[in-house]
Amino acid sequence: MPVHKPERRLLHFISLAFVKKKVAGGGQRPVVAGLSLTSMIDFLVVTVVFLLMSFSASGEIGLPKGIQLPKAENVMDMVDAPVVAVTGRQVLVDGKYAGNTGSIIEADRLQIIEELKAMLKQRRDTWISLKKDKPFPGVVVLTIDQNVPALVVKSVFQTAAMSGYPNVSFMVDSLPHAK
Amino acid sequence: MAGVDVGGGGGKKRAVDAEINMIPFIDLLLVTISFLLITAVWSHMARLNADAQVPGKPSDDPPTNPEKPKDLHIEMRGTEKFVLQWKQGQQVVNSVELPRKEVKTVQNNVEIIRFPELAVKIAEEWKTHGQHAAATDDKTDRAVLHTDNKTEYKFIIGVIDALYATQRDRAFPTKTEKIPAFNVTFAVN
Repeated sequence: MPVHKPERRLLHFISLAFVKKKVAGGGQRPVVAGLSLTSMIDFLVVTVVFLLMSFSASGEIGLPKGIQLPKAENVMDMVDAPVVAVTGRQVLVDGKYAGNTGSIIEADRLQIIEELKAMLKQRRDTWISLKKDKPFPGVVVLTIDQNVPALVVKSVFQTAAMSGYPNVSFMVDSLPHAK
Repeated sequence: MAGVDVGGGGGKKRAVDAEINMIPFIDLLLVTISFLLITAVWSHMARLNADAQVPGKPSDDPPTNPEKPKDLHIEMRGTEKFVLQWKQGQQVVNSVELPRKEVKTVQNNVEIIRFPELAVKIAEEWKTHGQHAAATDDKTDRAVLHTDNKTEYKFIIGVIDALYATQRDRAFPTKTEKIPAFNVTFAVN
């Protein structure tokens, strides 16, 4: 009996080549298709690398519900600063209630929002006491719904200025530059 | 089981080459992709800067004969036109009117307001009357926005956007950057 090179076997009486031939269809088109793992893994790795590169670890400033930001082209990058949001008739500072704009609309004249002023001043004092060696930047970001009337915008703007925040930024949704 | 066979070991000895199990590797990649897609930010927040300087305490040693700066006042209270006025103190240096032509577009159910003609006119005005055009000048010209109380915020942003379309060079110690030629503020009245 000739001596054969040992081959892989399913059982001692069934060679693996026999099984493979059966699964592959014995010359016909195989029933079970093979999956090319190399290309799949390449694709996954490229996707992961792309997503990691575009990932922002600092997170995104959460928009309160009901705010639709206006869009603008000639914008600057965001800065880390207290966020004053105006949604409906509520004013929020970093998500916490800081006044109501109802009285401004009813009075139909520019007013200082006292609760907002007190809250911003408190934040300013905290910042100054924590970082005594640095000048206070005085930056505040206003997140305002695009349909809010100018009277409210100006009132919030003036309140921020009076609270020691002269650098007021309006948060917008960035548009690509038109060519 | 999916695996990469990097060659076989023979005999009874421990195989020299190991087989890498690909399933946990693929699982890890898929979970990472899912996490990154879920936490991805698809909207790009940005800001438009404004200046809200309020008068401070009067100086003990006021400068003698200070030169009053020229400010651009943009009157947007009318529905038909814009009025652009350069003022030095209370004195009107130059005044031009411009038909108010807004370009409205809708993107994802959001109305976008643009004033391209206003942007062009502001750029022309700044070239003629702007005081802080030098790259070494650390100050910017000031624009004062006059709106009525009912104007919607998106129209204000449209005008500020048109205003910031005018840009100039600003030289920093290591590089030169483009910055807006104006800094905007609001008129109280």
